[in-house]
Amino acid sequence: MATSTTSVPALRMERLGKRFGTTDAVVDLSLIVPAGEVFGFLGPNGAGKSTTIRMLLGLLLPTSGAAWVFDAPAGDVERAHEMLAYVPADVALWPALTGRECLSLLAGVGPGIDAAYRDELLERFALDPDRKARTYSTGNRQKVALVAAFSTRAPLLVLDEPTSGLDPLMEREFRACIAEAAARGQTVFLSSHQLAEVEAVCSRVGILRSGRLVEVAGMADLRRLHRSEVIVELAAPEPGLRGLADLPGVADVRWPSPLRLELSLTGPPGTVLRALGGADVAHLEVREPSLEEIFLDYYGQVPA
Amino acid sequence: MTALVAVQYRGLAGALGADSLAALAENPAIRTLFGPPVGLDTAGGFTVWRTGTVLAVLVGIWAASTATRLTRGDEEAGRWDLLLAGRLRLPSLVARVLVVLLGASAVVGAAGGLGLVVAGAPVSGSVLFTACLAGTGMVGSALGVLCAQLFADRRSASGVAVAVLLAGLLARMVSDGVPALAWLAWFTPFGLLGRAAPFAEDRWLPLLVLAVLVTAVAVLAVALATGRDVGHGRLAGRDRRTAPSRLLTSLPGLAVHRTGRPLAGWATGAMAYFLLIGLLATTMTEFLRDNPAFADLAAQAGFAQLVSVEGYVSALYTLLAVVIGAFTASRVAATAADETAGRLALLYSRPVSRARWAATEAAAVTLAAVGLAAATGLAAWAGTAWVDAGLGLGDAVTGALSVLPVALLCLGAALAALGWAPAAVLAIGVLPAVGGYLLIVFADTFGWPRAVRWFSPFAHLNDVPAEPWNVAGGIGMLAVAVALATAGCLGYARRDLAG
Ligand SMILES: Nc1ncnc2c1ncn2[C@@H]1O[C@H](COP(=O)(O)OP(=O)(O)O)[C@@H](O)[C@H]1O
Ligand SMILES: [Mg+2]
Repeated sequence: MATSTTSVPALRMERLGKRFGTTDAVVDLSLIVPAGEVFGFLGPNGAGKSTTIRMLLGLLLPTSGAAWVFDAPAGDVERAHEMLAYVPADVALWPALTGRECLSLLAGVGPGIDAAYRDELLERFALDPDRKARTYSTGNRQKVALVAAFSTRAPLLVLDEPTSGLDPLMEREFRACIAEAAARGQTVFLSSHQLAEVEAVCSRVGILRSGRLVEVAGMADLRRLHRSEVIVELAAPEPGLRGLADLPGVADVRWPSPLRLELSLTGPPGTVLRALGGADVAHLEVREPSLEEIFLDYYGQVPA
Repeated sequence: MTALVAVQYRGLAGALGADSLAALAENPAIRTLFGPPVGLDTAGGFTVWRTGTVLAVLVGIWAASTATRLTRGDEEAGRWDLLLAGRLRLPSLVARVLVVLLGASAVVGAAGGLGLVVAGAPVSGSVLFTACLAGTGMVGSALGVLCAQLFADRRSASGVAVAVLLAGLLARMVSDGVPALAWLAWFTPFGLLGRAAPFAEDRWLPLLVLAVLVTAVAVLAVALATGRDVGHGRLAGRDRRTAPSRLLTSLPGLAVHRTGRPLAGWATGAMAYFLLIGLLATTMTEFLRDNPAFADLAAQAGFAQLVSVEGYVSALYTLLAVVIGAFTASRVAATAADETAGRLALLYSRPVSRARWAATEAAAVTLAAVGLAAATGLAAWAGTAWVDAGLGLGDAVTGALSVLPVALLCLGAALAALGWAPAAVLAIGVLPAVGGYLLIVFADTFGWPRAVRWFSPFAHLNDVPAEPWNVAGGIGMLAVAVALATAGCLGYARRDLAG
């Protein structure tokens, strides 16, 4: 399905901007997502991810710039939406319809679905489709939208924080579905603020901050931004460790007590572990920072 | 409005003798439609008779729908979760909102009665009338809160609350028309208004009963809030359905599916009312024939043909235009509400343009409006046939269908609002019918110039079946409706989607 369009990028945004009253939600956003890529769209709450996606869907009109889905303008929904499927951030369904009715409606008004795959997805996501939507939890409504989106086999999947209501088991299933979609050549545009999820499935990410795209990088480059917190508890004081602060990648060395050491580490932990080798370490903890902390760290270096 | 009618009465006073008034008071048809005509020899009494029921219905419906919006609506939107996360418990929250609503509806009801005092009517009657209106508003809001405890969605809750109120109106009509069932009046605020008879008997006992009614419904509402889960209703209905609707596989199917249930509800109400209208046809026309004074009065008010059954039915079909107009506007308002709640995002992520969905929905609503008119015409005919009033089935149905241009004007206005003022779809949608009706009443009462009157859609409607169709007027209104709808669809496709 996607083969005929591989030469055209799946998504193209040119100087896209959206202003709500006095708030600039998205500013001057230019981005190309080639067909077949799994692209992570990262940013803290309020960064403008949903606004960007709603412009891509034609739900919002850009105040400046333009976007294309394959080669159809985003505003030409009858053409553009033949080639995409969408999972919104907050899935709202008609409360009196059952999950199955929602699915058949969404399938019926589109270009058709893979019914066998849909049934398989219902099993995998453990969704009871005969319940009315008003009985569904946030996660269950999200599952309905995910099943509807994946079963279209559309060449482009636009997913706006699709796992915010899913439990870890279902999130694993979601990642498997993304992998299958990628293997089939589908393009995925995944908005998220969960770094682990993006790390697991995406090959390239864009980082959005206050409506501006501040970084577009491959996954390996993103790791460069990683800064972990290392906490060491010693059985006996070890004055030799004072030299740790000079090691590459180490910053913020603190000694709350002579037996406790805290530091931030960017890059691989090998040198620090070697330096600790001679000491009497009672307890060692390496805490991955949250995405928010990475952002703070990152924005500290790059004022924007 | 009450002040207006009280002043208008001065002009009519003296035109009617005591005999005519007595005849009026005894006619069952008059009693059924407008309530017992008592105290008509005073400006206040006349005003209560002319406007009391309409005002009470408006206040009650407003109170009921506001109550469901502020209780079930907020609860459904998740706004209560935060409030209830603290120490506040559900029954006390419901009770507090209820108290505020009772106060608000009392104020709104009182505003209607104040007009009478301003116009110089006696104070005791005015106070009694005001209290009855306020009480009706309070019954409405208590009923709204009660239904909000029963149903999990706002639309069902307000639908049932309004339906119960209208059933109360019907019960009042039956109690005034059928002596054996007169006791029914004591169970509905509209009946109690008649029993209180402001400006005539000035009875206070019915007011006490009204207070008991308010208290009973309010207490029941709070009791039902106790021990239920937030976000759920007492009447859950079935949560599972294994046989999916076969309609829900296409855009037109969805439009039909979501119009069907509301249509059934509106049709039931309209058919019940017009069946009653039909049943009263002979009583009414004979009364007017025997009392030329009233026939003259009706002619002055623009109802020249009231003495024939055709004229009588066609005059009442004016009301049908308002009903069907409100139906079409409410359907477009439902689409606007779906948008705000985010329920359209998934649909619009499929290859469905907004203009196409709006047009599909408009087509379904148009068909539903035709069905509603035809069904109501059928009901009116059934009523007249029962009493051998001699109204043809064809006449009854074409008369009902003849009001459709006004209803479609409402649909067009509602679609225009959907495109350009989505927060006011219902208000703008009902404007051609409600605003147009008030305009023509004022214009006729005060002899406003024809140029002003022309702006009311009702100026372009003939009294079918008593008169032939106003073809030019109908086509003109349809053209305006289509223009409004087109402008609305264009605007709808070119604006940001909410939710
Ligand atoms: N309809 C709207 N009206 C006004 N401001 C809005 C609207 N939608 C979003 N915003 C603002 O735009 C910014 C971006 O929001 P959003 O795109 O939802 O962020 P994200 O999805 O990244 O959390 C926020 O500051 C938000 O308050
Ligand atoms: Mg968002």
